[in-house]
Amino acid sequence: MATKIKKAILYILLILLAVTCLVPFLLMMVNSTRSATEIMTSFTLIPGHNLKENWDLVFSYFNLFLGFWNSLKVAIPATILGAYFSALTAYAMAVYKFKGEKILFYVIVIFMMIPGQLGLIGFYNLVSALHLTDSYIPLIIPAIAAPGTVFFLRQYVLSVLPMELLEAARIDGARELHIFHKIVFPIMAPGVATMAIGGFIGNWNSYLVPLILLNTPKKFTLPVMISSLSASQNIASNQGATYLAVAISVIPIMIVFCFCSKYIISSISAGSVKG
Amino acid sequence: MKLKKLTALLLAGLMALSLAACGDDNTDANTPATSGSNDTNVSTTPADDNTTTPADDTASDLSGKLVIWTLAADLEQFADRFKEMNPGVKTEVVVIAPADYPTKVEAALLGGAKEPDIIVGEPQMLESMYDAGFFEDLNQAPYNAQDYAGQIVDYVWEVGQDADGIQRAISYQITPAGFFYRRDIAKTVFGTDDPAEIGKLFADYDTILETGRTLKEKGYRIFASDAEISYFSGDSAWVIDEKLNLDQSRIDYMDMSVALYQEDLTAYAAQWAAPWYQAMKGPVPILTAETQWGTDDMPIWNGEDAFAEATEGMETTEVFAFGLPAWGVLTLRDNCGDTSGLWGACAGPAYGFGGGTFIGISSQSERKDLAWEFVKFCTLNEETADWWIEKSQGDTVSLVSALEKHANDGNETYGGQQLYAFWLEQAEGIDYSKVTMYDKAIGDAWGSAISAVKTGEKTKEQAISDFYDEVAATYPNLTIER
Repeated sequence: MATKIKKAILYILLILLAVTCLVPFLLMMVNSTRSATEIMTSFTLIPGHNLKENWDLVFSYFNLFLGFWNSLKVAIPATILGAYFSALTAYAMAVYKFKGEKILFYVIVIFMMIPGQLGLIGFYNLVSALHLTDSYIPLIIPAIAAPGTVFFLRQYVLSVLPMELLEAARIDGARELHIFHKIVFPIMAPGVATMAIGGFIGNWNSYLVPLILLNTPKKFTLPVMISSLSASQNIASNQGATYLAVAISVIPIMIVFCFCSKYIISSISAGSVKG
Repeated sequence: MKLKKLTALLLAGLMALSLAACGDDNTDANTPATSGSNDTNVSTTPADDNTTTPADDTASDLSGKLVIWTLAADLEQFADRFKEMNPGVKTEVVVIAPADYPTKVEAALLGGAKEPDIIVGEPQMLESMYDAGFFEDLNQAPYNAQDYAGQIVDYVWEVGQDADGIQRAISYQITPAGFFYRRDIAKTVFGTDDPAEIGKLFADYDTILETGRTLKEKGYRIFASDAEISYFSGDSAWVIDEKLNLDQSRIDYMDMSVALYQEDLTAYAAQWAAPWYQAMKGPVPILTAETQWGTDDMPIWNGEDAFAEATEGMETTEVFAFGLPAWGVLTLRDNCGDTSGLWGACAGPAYGFGGGTFIGISSQSERKDLAWEFVKFCTLNEETADWWIEKSQGDTVSLVSALEKHANDGNETYGGQQLYAFWLEQAEGIDYSKVTMYDKAIGDAWGSAISAVKTGEKTKEQAISDFYDEVAATYPNLTIER
């Protein structure tokens, strides 16, 4: 009986938590179907009739799908490169012993603590000196250096990778890169996936750097495009349209999360040496 | 097997990357080429530009490309119109959210970017943009902006000048503040709806309080929020000769704000929140200091019906007036619903203004001549002003001749009142010399002192003393006499 009550309380709490997490999303969806005045004067969970108008309004300002495509062009390569090279670095730092390894590690930890916005103008100067403004390269390439991801994956490798596996592979004559690709990477996969999801969401939502680096409206990524909705004469009338645009922009994040969340969960319990 | 998957993934990544890179190369190759050709085209224009007889330039032979970075989408329409008038011109308008606009412009111009050609700013951003040298000096040779001085409303002209009085930017609109009031309520309570007479009810802070009390007795509220008077918050400069100037009128303003709040004279809506807009349409439930919007017992749930239902037990009231700058004409028009035609506009206790988009030329632009044509087109061209008045249906332009020409235009939402004449009059009263670079910070500190007093958090003496402390901490260079 006591356990039943405990369980009931637990479930109620969890349901409450789930509701508080989901209601803002639901509201966003509902508001994207309502007109600006409706949104401003009242509050409801029943969808309105203005989806078409909002859609037309959004597309009268810009082509949302172009922004979608632009964002994908940035977020996917940046995520893949970031995940792969971080895993490579983390593996090296965890497994190989070399001179300056400790210092390198501390450097990474220190860089983790410096917010990227600090070097913004310097970064812009560098990019413009390289004649790379208004292109996607400076948005993608720097993603390779992700100190936070390296730090996380290093700890992860240390905890999940038994050195015996590497020794066995070496005895069998595998080269080091081969060992990484064939043996280490699959073992690291859950950790990499976790960081990749975070990385993808970060790249997808990234606003400040694309805002500063991209000048041509046609190249704008989704967040930059959407924010320009709030620059119009009558901000109020664009509310429904803004909700719609944001609702659409969240879709890829949801998809990524649906497909990768199982990795996050399994990364908690995963191990390589089954006993 | 795993390796195959991995290489496939890597290849896909590489492909996506090279795709992005390719797309980029193309445009990179294009831009220098076009901008090069532009330069040669543009260089033909100064010839007819030197004969500077204002307003009669028939510069339809303009050509080239113009990059405009703006925080107001209005300029997009101006740019389209500019293209229409000058078929040879190409424009690229980049609309950036106002909050991020300074960051974007700063990064680009400090980084030495040759584009944009046209940059804009709102009054509170302008000073730092002038100091950074982002705006081209418009008083020098090919532009000679000083020749146009009388054509634009004075205060706007002065906002566009830097600390040394050099013209840097010009705005196409004026934004003087006034009170928008309900004519029908004015008639029932005061027996008249004449703007001049109603203006007397807002003549000074004591009179506003008196008006508020009269309205409350008759079951109305004077304002929806207590932010309505903030545009008229003082008729003196905050700082005179490096000395903080806390005028008696500031104290009076504080007393009035406190009284408005404590005597329940407003409807306690938050400015720009749902009930505030609701008040433009008609009756709103009477909120009190305790049940302001956002508390649990004021659910605004399930649409307007439920809103009415939820607040059914509560008394409702109608709101008499809103205090907004000239662009409030459009806000009110879009939100007033059935009360359209029942509104009027009158002067407040002091002159004030809020907002406005100022257009200037980037000092690093390579197409300054064409950019100057665009600035002139937006601000100094009477045809454009006529077109904008019609297009925006009520925005107030800054060109004096256009305002005078449209002085007799009636606005239907405002009972046919001749608003352009009214705004011109209000704008002429603004004394921009009273505006200082300290206004924002000191004004905010004063605002929080006022709210501390009105909610009873501090006594008046204590709040004023704390205000002095805050100013002293923010600006150690100012002399403060307590």
